[in-house]
Amino acid sequence: MNENRRKILDMLATGQITADEAERLISALDKDQPGASGANGSEPRSKAKAKYVRVLVEDNGKGTGPKVNIRVPMQLLRSGVKLASLIPDHARTHVNHALREHGVPFDLGQIKPENLEEVIDQLDDLTVDVDDKDVKVRVFCE
Amino acid sequence: MIPIASTVRIRNPRHQFWIPLFLVWLLLLPVALLLLPLFFVACLVIRVNPFRALSILYGILTALKGTDIAVDDGPYSVLVRIH
Repeated sequence: MNENRRKILDMLATGQITADEAERLISALDKDQPGASGANGSEPRSKAKAKYVRVLVEDNGKGTGPKVNIRVPMQLLRSGVKLASLIPDHARTHVNHALREHGVPFDLGQIKPENLEEVIDQLDDLTVDVDDKDVKVRVFCE
Repeated sequence: MIPIASTVRIRNPRHQFWIPLFLVWLLLLPVALLLLPLFFVACLVIRVNPFRALSILYGILTALKGTDIAVDDGPYSVLVRIH
């Protein structure tokens, strides 16, 4: 805990400031030191990792369409993408051939687990909004 | 940890089930053990490492925890939640 933070907490403990004021001061302190290490050399605070992917389908106020609310754990996505490594060689050749025929010159064998991990990690910032005349679809991580 | 329970809620007609998955896993365990040799043979035929396949399948099973599916279509609605 750094010195300024401790001072704020001391002031709160002695009743010099209210809890709201303490919260505001701590927030201001955090803004002043973005990404800075604490006085004790601790790691910079990182953004909380998303744990779920949420898919929401809502009607556009007409009340006719279905409402869908799906929450998928990120861990399930991680495990799911690892299934790609179980694709047998001959099946992979077929898939690669089909992809090439459809104008996607991509080799599935090039996908490595570490690449997939990186892709999943980047999903944290993913937000997809589809606004149709009947339904509204939102995909985001939380 | 593998999921231990699941809630299924259906509206119209209104039903709610609480499924103790840990009992389902216990019931399926002997079947899984019986099918294990077949699984290993199948993996060897398609040239996939059976241990890796098992580890991935177990990973998927454990990752199911927290899955939540709710579909609401007019008078009908279904909710499936895995705990």
